[in-house]
This record gives sequence, structure tokens and C-alpha cells, in this order.
Amino acid sequence: MGAVTDDEVIRKRLLIDGDGAGDDRRINVLLKSFTKWCNSTGSPEEGFTQYQRMLGTLAQCEFSMGKTLLVYDMNLREMENYEKIYTDIEQNITSAHDKISECKKEIQRAKRIRKNRQEYDALAKVIQQHPDRHETLKQLEALDKELQQLSHIKENVEDKLELRKKQFHVLLSTIQELQQTLESNVTSEAPPHHNTSSSMLYGGKYTCGDHPPV
Amino acid sequence: MSVFSQSFSPCGRFLAAGNNYGEIAVFSLSSALSPDATDLSQTPILTFTAHEGPVFSLFSTDSHLLSAGNGEISAWSWAELIKRVRPSSLEIPEINAMTVNPTENSLVIGGGDNNIHIMDLESGVFKSVLQGHTDYIHCLSVREREGEILSGGEDGAVRIWDHRTGQSVHCIEVYKYEECARPQYGKWISCLTTESDWMLCGGGPSLSLWHLRSMSPTSIFPLSGCQRQANFYQDMILSVGEGQCVSHCLLGGEVKAQIPCTPHSLNTLALNLNSTDNRVRVLTVGGSSHQIDVFTNLSYRTFSLSF
Repeated sequence: MGAVTDDEVIRKRLLIDGDGAGDDRRINVLLKSFTKWCNSTGSPEEGFTQYQRMLGTLAQCEFSMGKTLLVYDMNLREMENYEKIYTDIEQNITSAHDKISECKKEIQRAKRIRKNRQEYDALAKVIQQHPDRHETLKQLEALDKELQQLSHIKENVEDKLELRKKQFHVLLSTIQELQQTLESNVTSEAPPHHNTSSSMLYGGKYTCGDHPPV
Repeated sequence: MSVFSQSFSPCGRFLAAGNNYGEIAVFSLSSALSPDATDLSQTPILTFTAHEGPVFSLFSTDSHLLSAGNGEISAWSWAELIKRVRPSSLEIPEINAMTVNPTENSLVIGGGDNNIHIMDLESGVFKSVLQGHTDYIHCLSVREREGEILSGGEDGAVRIWDHRTGQSVHCIEVYKYEECARPQYGKWISCLTTESDWMLCGGGPSLSLWHLRSMSPTSIFPLSGCQRQANFYQDMILSVGEGQCVSHCLLGGEVKAQIPCTPHSLNTLALNLNSTDNRVRVLTVGGSSHQIDVFTNLSYRTFSLSF
């Protein structure tokens, strides 16, 4: 333990006294001159000058001590300043890291969004190729109406056809009856069977079909 | 030498590549990407002959590397790569594509006999055969949510199969659509990939993006050359094929960038998304060269691994 502290002391003294003609030498000179002055046998003026000289060196020592103390204070404050700057920079680094990871997440999100948008666009292109739904509906409606009209016309035409058919049928059947009655008139010229012929006429008229004669 | 297939290990730190001599080489990505990488770290840490014929397809499950050669499939344990765990053989000439259906834990294999075989991964038993293609199958893809398998083949048709019934649900003949067809290249489909409702397919016809719900092509990509593999990545489409570049395209149909790389014609593209370590998230491409290009940043080629 003693050896360690001695080394430290020697190291410190060597460090401090780095500028050669330093304070250590001054203190040694002061001590030597003090002892010399105490043991001096010279005149009082010499003793007084020596005393003044010693006060001068003492003042010099005090001055350098004050200077080193101020330098020490300054170093301490510089250290504090640097510590502060160091912590600031560390905080900035961590916040920059956070921002970077945030931005990376943002990029991922943006890429997903872009992908979705592109998918929509691609689908929209395909959809555009097909005709508009409203137009198709309108076309369908128009076609429906046409269809209805045409079916109406068809119905009307069919009804007319039916009517004409029946009318023709009645006409033909009455002609046939007339033929028959004329033939029966011719055959029954000899024996006058008016009642039977007229009854045949009437019966014949009303047995063919249900239509009354037009 | 041509590199036909690639697969990343489940931890994401190794890359296995298969070539046309039947060899599989395993590269250590973590050492190749580390700051003190030397030339030696860009060569394989392990090479072994897996099959007699070319290794057309490699696939990684959680613990095994599956490799397919001429008619046989081998499973290699990632933990001890020399040990062949369970070979199984089929009577088909070559196996072009393999993929795994995770919901059923089954392996879907497509190859030269025009059929798709489904094998159960745990037992190694072949469960079913999907028939319908009239020519051999180049590529396979699985849609887990809908439980569908898609296959593209030399006959130009993309068929969508339901994996439970084994019936072909839809058949899209891509070459019949005028905007996609390129008669000068043929009608074969060599790359197929799906993501939710969208499908990318290409080969003889141009690479095109299809919306599967409406079964209509939405975008056609103006890439010259036939594309052999395409992937969806974030908001882009990455595709490799007959040109000496990796094409980056946007979903809208425009080609954003074409990044040059070493092999003259590329066969396979693989993205390492397995590991969370950002250093090994790379894109690797291999083709008609003994070098496999590695991209750490998608915009440029970082270095090449030598087979």
C-alpha cells in the first residue's frame, strides 16, 4: 500500500512539475532562504531585503496556487458541460433510432397501400372494359317494352285470326246447309213436303254451330 | 453448369442449390454476408451428389430439404445434411415442381407424366393423382385459403384443382387470350405464383397478372423473353427469365427496373424471408452459370456465390 501511494505521489509530482522551473523549486528555494535568513548573521538591511524577497516568492507561490485552483474549477465545469452534451447526443441517437423504426413501419404500410391501390386499378381497368350497368339496364328495359308490344300485337293478330276463322266457318256451314236444302228442295219437288222442308230448314239452320245466322 | 433450383433453410442462414449434374451445394449465408467474408466463404460449405439426373426442384420444410430428380424424391434432414432420410420413387420421368400444402401436410409433385401426385409428408404414401393436363407440368402453386392447387404446363393451360375432390375446377388457356399470347414463343406456361386472389403466370405467353375471382387478365408485363420464375414481394413483382436481368415490375403493368446479373439466362429466384435477422434477408438468383448472384439490397448485385 505504501509503495503504491509513493508511486502515485511521484507520478503526480512529475506531472505537476512538467514545466521544469516550477513551483516545487520555488518552494524549496523559499524554505532554504527562510532557514538561511533565520540563521543569518548579516546586517538588518540585508535581513530586511531577504525578508522582502521571501515575501515576493511567497506571493508568487500563492499566485500560482490561485491560478491552478481556477484552472481546476474550469476543468470541472468543462467536464459537466461535456457530460451534458454527451447525454443530449445519446438521447438524440435513441430518438433517431425510434424515428427510423417508425419510418420503416410507415414504409411498409405505404407499400401495402400502394399494392392495394394497384390491385384496385388493375381490376378497374378490367371493369371499364365491360359496358356500363345503367346502359345495359336501359337497353334491357327498352327490349322488354318492345317484347311486350310485340306480344300484344301478336295477341291481337291471333284474336283477329280466330274471329275470321269462325266467321268463315259459319259462312261455309251456312252455304253447305243452303246447298243441302236446295238439293232436298229439288228432290222433294214432287211430293210437296213444305212442313218437313221448312222444319228441316229451321232445324238445319240451328243445328250447325251455335252461331245465329249473320 | 446450370443452377435449376434453390431453397433456403428454415433458420434462413443456409442456401441449398441444385444443378444439372445432380449435385446439391449448401452455402452458409451468414458467413458470406459477414463483414469479414473472404473468397472462401463464397464457395459451398458442402456439396453432395443427390440424384443421377438434374435437380429440378428443391423445397424446404421445417426440418427437411426435399429434392426431386428423375423420378425420385429424397428428403434430407437439415440438421445432418449427408443423411438421406427417406427416398421414395415414382414411375415418372422427371419431377419439375414440388410444393407443400401446409393445411394437409402433403407434398404436391408435378412432372413429366402430365399428372400431379399428392403425397402425405408424414407417411410417405401417395394419396391421390390429379389428371387433366395433356402435356408435362412445369410449375405448381398452392392457395391455402381456398384449398386449391394450381398447375401450369407445356400444354398452355393453367388448371385449378380442388385438393379434396381432386377435380379440376377451372382451366385457363392463357394462349387463347389475345393480349397475353405470343405465338412466336409458344403456349407453354413455365412460371406460376399466387397471392390471395391474384395469380401471375408466364412462359411462352407474356407474363400476366390475373384476378382469380373473375378469371380475367388484368395486367400484361412487357418483358421480352420467357419468364421462368416470378414472385410477389411487398408491392412489387420480381421476375427472372431469359434476359440477363431481374425485372422489378409494378402491379399496374409497368416495368420499374431491370437489374443486371451474371448468368445469361436465369432459372430460379429465391427470397430469404425465413429469418428475422435482417442481415440475411437476401434475394438470390441462379441460372445458366456456376455463379449464384446474391442481392442484399434489391437494387444491385452484391456478390456472387460460386457453385
